[in-house]
Amino acid sequence: MQKPLGIVCLLASMAGMAGWLPLKGQSGFREYLKPAEINARLEGLQAKYPSQVSVKKMAVSPGGIPVNMLEIGSGGGERPAVLVVANAEGTYPIASLGALYLAGRILAEPDKYSELKWYIIPCLNPDGAMRYFSDPLYMDGRNAREVNDDLDDQMDEDGYNDLNGDGYITRMRVRHPEGEWIPVDSDPRMMKRADPAKGEKGIYKVYTEGVDDDGDGKYNEDLPGGVDPSINFPHLFKPFTSAGGKWPGEIDETFRLMKFVYEHPEIAMGFYFGSSDFCYAPPRAGRRGSVDMNRIKIPPRQARRFNVDPDKTYTMEEIKQLLQPMMPQGMEISESMIAGFLGLGAVVNPLEEDMKFYKHLSEEYKEYLKEKGYEDERLDAPQDRDGSFELWMYYHVGVPSFSMNLFTLPKPEEKNKDGEALSPERIEKMSKEEFLGLGEEKIEKWLRETGSPSQFKGSQVMAMVESGQLTPERIAAMMKQQGVTEKKNDGDPAMKALIAFSDRELDGKGFVEWMPFQHPDLGEVEIGGAVPFTENTPPASMIDSLLEFQVPWVFELTEKLPRLSIREVKTTDLGNGVYRLEVWIENGKYLPFPTAMGERNQQPAPAILLLEGVNLEFLQGLPRTPVQKVGGMKVHKEEWLIRSASSQTLTLRLTSKNAWGDVKTIKIGG
Amino acid sequence: MKTIFRHILITGGFLSLMNLMPAQEITVPLRFDRYYDYEELIEAMKALNRAYPRLTHLDLVGKSEENREIWALTINNPQTGNELDKPGVYVDGNIHGNEVQAGEVCLYFADYLLKNYGKNPRITALVDKNAYYVVPSVNVDGRYHFFNDPNTPSTNRGLRRPHDDDRDGLFDEDFPDDLDGDGNICNMRKRDPFGQYRTDPLDSRLMIPVKPGEPGEWTLLGQEGIDNDGDGQVNEDSEGYVDPNRNWPYNWEPPYVQRGSDNYPLSGVGLKALANYIIDRPNIIMAFAFHNNGGMFLRGPGTEDQGDFPRNDVEVFDYLGKNAEKIVPGYRYLLSWRDLYSTYGDFGDFMDNIVGAYTFVGELYRTDDETFRSPGESQKQEDEGSMFTENTSRTKERLEFNDHVVHGDLYKEWTPYNHPTYGEIEIGGWVKMSSRLPHPFMLPDLVHRNAAAVIFSSEQTPEIKLEVTETEKIDRNLYRVTVRLSNRKAIPSLTYHAVQKKIHEQDILKVHGKQIRVVSGGRLTDLYRNRVVYKEHKPEIQYLQVPGFGKIEFQFLVSGKGEMQVEYTSLKAGKIRKTVSLK
Repeated sequence: MQKPLGIVCLLASMAGMAGWLPLKGQSGFREYLKPAEINARLEGLQAKYPSQVSVKKMAVSPGGIPVNMLEIGSGGGERPAVLVVANAEGTYPIASLGALYLAGRILAEPDKYSELKWYIIPCLNPDGAMRYFSDPLYMDGRNAREVNDDLDDQMDEDGYNDLNGDGYITRMRVRHPEGEWIPVDSDPRMMKRADPAKGEKGIYKVYTEGVDDDGDGKYNEDLPGGVDPSINFPHLFKPFTSAGGKWPGEIDETFRLMKFVYEHPEIAMGFYFGSSDFCYAPPRAGRRGSVDMNRIKIPPRQARRFNVDPDKTYTMEEIKQLLQPMMPQGMEISESMIAGFLGLGAVVNPLEEDMKFYKHLSEEYKEYLKEKGYEDERLDAPQDRDGSFELWMYYHVGVPSFSMNLFTLPKPEEKNKDGEALSPERIEKMSKEEFLGLGEEKIEKWLRETGSPSQFKGSQVMAMVESGQLTPERIAAMMKQQGVTEKKNDGDPAMKALIAFSDRELDGKGFVEWMPFQHPDLGEVEIGGAVPFTENTPPASMIDSLLEFQVPWVFELTEKLPRLSIREVKTTDLGNGVYRLEVWIENGKYLPFPTAMGERNQQPAPAILLLEGVNLEFLQGLPRTPVQKVGGMKVHKEEWLIRSASSQTLTLRLTSKNAWGDVKTIKIGG
Repeated sequence: MKTIFRHILITGGFLSLMNLMPAQEITVPLRFDRYYDYEELIEAMKALNRAYPRLTHLDLVGKSEENREIWALTINNPQTGNELDKPGVYVDGNIHGNEVQAGEVCLYFADYLLKNYGKNPRITALVDKNAYYVVPSVNVDGRYHFFNDPNTPSTNRGLRRPHDDDRDGLFDEDFPDDLDGDGNICNMRKRDPFGQYRTDPLDSRLMIPVKPGEPGEWTLLGQEGIDNDGDGQVNEDSEGYVDPNRNWPYNWEPPYVQRGSDNYPLSGVGLKALANYIIDRPNIIMAFAFHNNGGMFLRGPGTEDQGDFPRNDVEVFDYLGKNAEKIVPGYRYLLSWRDLYSTYGDFGDFMDNIVGAYTFVGELYRTDDETFRSPGESQKQEDEGSMFTENTSRTKERLEFNDHVVHGDLYKEWTPYNHPTYGEIEIGGWVKMSSRLPHPFMLPDLVHRNAAAVIFSSEQTPEIKLEVTETEKIDRNLYRVTVRLSNRKAIPSLTYHAVQKKIHEQDILKVHGKQIRVVSGGRLTDLYRNRVVYKEHKPEIQYLQVPGFGKIEFQFLVSGKGEMQVEYTSLKAGKIRKTVSLK
C-alpha cells in the first residue's frame, strides 16, 4: 500500500512556508511514528539525558501498548510543572510528534527546565494511534477495548471492508429512489444534500465502504473497539454513547491520568496537542446552562421551604446569609453545599475573567505566527469536544489549559472573498465581539434577506447580544430552525479544501476518484472520496516546518505562568515592642493565580505565607496565612500586628506548589 | 476479640454496654441485639459462609484506602443454576461509615435466607431463584473508625482520602477531639452573660435562644475539640471530606457543584473495586443500598435535570416502593431529588443507569420511634425546628425516652471541663450511638422489617416462562411457529430505561435447527388477526424485553422439518432452551 501522504510535495506554494529549514539537531521527523516507536524515542531521550529525564509507564492500553510519560526536570525540588498530553483522539499522528519535538526543544535548552518541570505524554491513545499504520486505512480513535456498539448477539463483528482493495476506507454511493445526495455542479467529485427548495432531487445514498458482515441490514455498525479516550473525561461527559465509554475514566488511559494530575498539585498548566486549538481561538462559549452566581433563582419547592420568593434572583452571598441561621450550631454553610442543594450544576462556559486572557493570548498568537511569516489561511480547527482532556483541565483541575492543532487544510482560494455571505454556520462560530463587529448595517441587511420578522431590527438584535440575552450561537440556532441555511451550497467547505489540497499538493492522491464497483448486497455502486487522514495529517515532508513555527509558542505561554514573590515589606514600630507588618505579594506574570475557574472550583493549591520568629505574639494575623488569589501582574496585601519583647530578624517565607515562592527577612527593633 | 476489650477500656457509657457480653465466638444464627464492629462483621460473614458452604461463597471485593478488606457474601444454590444465569439481587450497606446498622440489616438478610432455607418454603424458593450479592460494609474504614474512635453520630461518614477542607494547604489536620475521653464527640458550652442562649426552663439540658432584652446564659462552642492547627478554628478539617455516595461515575460533578464528590469519579479505591465487582455481575437487576436515617425508601434519579425514568419503570418502582412502605411502618417511599435533595454521582444513579438495576436506597431508622407518650397522645407539632434542626418538643420527648426507656444510654449529661482555650466549659449532648442508630433493643425489629422489604422485591424478580404455543403446518415444509415469553412477576426482564438508553443488550430469542430455515419472523401484536411486526434482517434472532406481569409473543415462518431449537437468553432473567419437532 502506497500512502499518498508519504510523497514529497513542494511547500513553496503554502503561504509563507518557504525558507523554513529545519534547525540543526532538532526534530528531523521523516515519518510518522508508531506508538512503540514513540516510546522508543522516549527511552532514547532517557539514555541521552539520564540526569534530567525519566520515563514512567502511566497506563497500558487495552491493546497492550504502554502509555508512557516523560518527566523532565523532576529531580530539581519543588517547582511548578506543565502537563503536556498529545493525541488522545488517536487520529492525530502529528500531535505526538509535536510533543516529542517539544521535549527535544526543552532538553536542548536547560533554561526551559531549570525552573519548571515537564510531564509529557506524547500518545495518550496508542491503540487508536495504531490505526494510522493499519491496512485498510480509516480514521477511528477508539481503543482496543471490546464494545458491542450495536448491542446485538456478536462483538465487533461489522467493521469496514476495503472492497476495492486500494488500502483506504472511503465512501460508497449508490443510486436509490430514496437517495438524498447529488454531485456538486462545480466539482462532481463532491457530494451535497439535494435542496428541494432549489428543485433538486436526490440521486444517491451514501455509505462508508464496507459490506453488511453480520447480515443485519446495517453497514459497518460495530467496528472493532472501543472507547475514545479523548471524550472519556468528566467535564460534560456524555453518557449512553458507545464510543465515549460507560463512564468518565472507565478506561485506564484516562483514569490513571486523572489520578496522576491530582497527585501532582504542582501542575500549573495543561497543554494539549490534538484536534482543538485554544491557542488560536478561546474555548467554546455560549453553551446553555451556566448559572450566573449573582442571579440565582431558587426552585419553587426549595423556595417554599425557605420561605423566599421563587421569582426573585439572589446572589450566592445572599443565599448564604439566608440559610446560615437554619444550619445546626457550628456548621458553616459553603457555596458547594448550596450549589448541590439547589442543583445549580456545573460551569459550562469559560468564566469571563478567564476569557480575557484566552482572547488576549490568541491575538498574541496570531501576531506571533505573522512574525514568523505565516499568514493564516487554514481551516478552523475542530471545536473542543465535551468530555475532552483540555476542557477537563480548565473546568475541573482549574489551571490554564491550552491546546494546539498542528495542521488543518489550507483554505481554498475564495473567488469573491469580500462578499462572503453571512450564514447561520458562520454566525454560530462567532464570538459576541465578532458578531457586533459586523456592524448594524450588515446585520440589518442579513435579517431582511433571510426574511426575519420585520420587528426584528438589527439594532435590537445587537443590543440583545451586547446584554447577553442572545448569543450568536443562539441566533444561528433560531435561523436554522426557520430553515435559513447557507445560500450557496457548493458542498462541504472542508471537502472543498481537501480536494484543492489534494490536487495542488498531493498530485490528486488525497482523493479517490469515484469508480464503479459491484457490491455484494447493494449491487452497482461507486466507491470514492477523501483518503482518510488527508484532512489532518500533512505529508511527512511538512512535519518539521509545521512543528518549528507553532510548537515554540508553548514557551511563550509558560513564560506567562503566575509567579509569586514578596514585593515589598513595610514595618512600622508602634512602640513597646509592637509592630505593624505590611506585606505585598506580587504575581509578576500575566496569568492569574489561580484562574477564575480555579477560584470557583477551589482545586488549585493555595500559596502559604509563613511568618517565622522567636517568641512572637500575634495580635492580629496568624503565623501561617494561606494566599488564595493574586491576579496577573497584581499584588495582594497581608497585614500583621505582632509583639516581640526583643529585637530580632523575622523570616517571611512564601511557599507554593504551583507558582514558585520567595523568602525575605525583616529586622524588627534594635 | 481484642477490639472489644479495647472498647471497654477506652470508652465508657453505651458503647461498652453493648459490648459487655462476654467475648465469644460469632456463631450462626447470628444475634441482632448488638452491633458488630468492622472485624466482627467480617467474622460474622465468615461464620455464615462456614455454616452454609454449599449455598454461599465469600469474595474479596477489594481493599480500602487504609487497606482494610471489603467482602461480599454470595448466596446462590448451584443446584438450581449458575449465578450469572439467574436474576441478581444486590444488597449493600454502610457506604457512609457512621451508618452502621445498615451492615446489620445486610447480615440479617443473609442470615435469615440461609437459616430458613429448607424450612420455610417461600424462603427456600427465593434462595433457589435468585443470586444474592451482599456487601454489608462498603466503607470499611469508616465502620472501623466509627466503632474504634470517638465520634458524633454523624462523623466518620466519608472516605479516608485526605482533603484540604479549609484551604490552608494542610490536609485533615484538625479533627474533633474527645476531650473528656468518653468515646463520644459531644458539644461544648460556656457560661456567658452575653451569650445568645439561656437554659430551657422545661429541661435544664436544653438551651433556647434569648430574646432581645433577656439576659444571656450560654455561648455554644460547637463540637468537642481544640484548635489543633492553631488557625483560630476548631475541628474545621477532619477526615476527607469525600462522600463515598457522591463519587460514583454516573452524573458525577466536581466538588464545587457536589460537595464531597472528590477530584474525579471512582477515586475511592474501595469504590472502584466495588464498581468492578458489580460490572462483573451484569445479572443484577434489583439493588438495595442501606443508609441511615429518616425512614425512607428512595428511588432515583438523583437530580431533576435527568428527567424521570420511563413510565413503565416508575410503575415497577411504585409497586415495590409502596409495598416496602407497608412492610416497614412509618417509612416513606420517595423520589430522591424531589422529596429530599439533589445528589450527583450517587450509587443509585450508577446502578440505575450503568448496571440497569431497579435501585432503592433504604434510609434506616426514624428517631420518631423514640417515643414517650400517653395512649392517644399524638406527636407534637413541628414548631421552631427547621429542615436542618429538630424541633424542641421532639428533642424533649427523645430526652424522656433516653431517661426512662434506655436509662441514659443516649445522652451525655453536661459535665464541667477545663478547656485549654475556652477555660471552664461544659461538655454534653447526644452520644455517638444515638440519634441515627436504634438502641440495640430496637435493632431486631429494624433489621427484620427492612430485610422483609428486600425479600418482597426479591420475590418480584423476573420469572420467565417460554412456551411454543403453536406449530401449525401451513404448507409442505412450511410451518407457522408461535412462541410466548411470559413473566408472572413485577420486574421486567430488563428495565425500560436500559432499553431506551441502550445501557446493555436486550434479551435474545433465537430459533434455529439443522434442517430448518427461518423465512420470516417478528413480534406478534395481534394474536387473533396474526398481525406481526416483521424483522427484515436475520428473522431467526429477535431482540426483546419481557414486561413485568405480562407477555410478549413472536411468530416465525419456518421451512424445513425436524428438530427446531428455541432459545431465550437474557442478561438478567436467565436462559431457557426448548426443542420442538416439526413434522
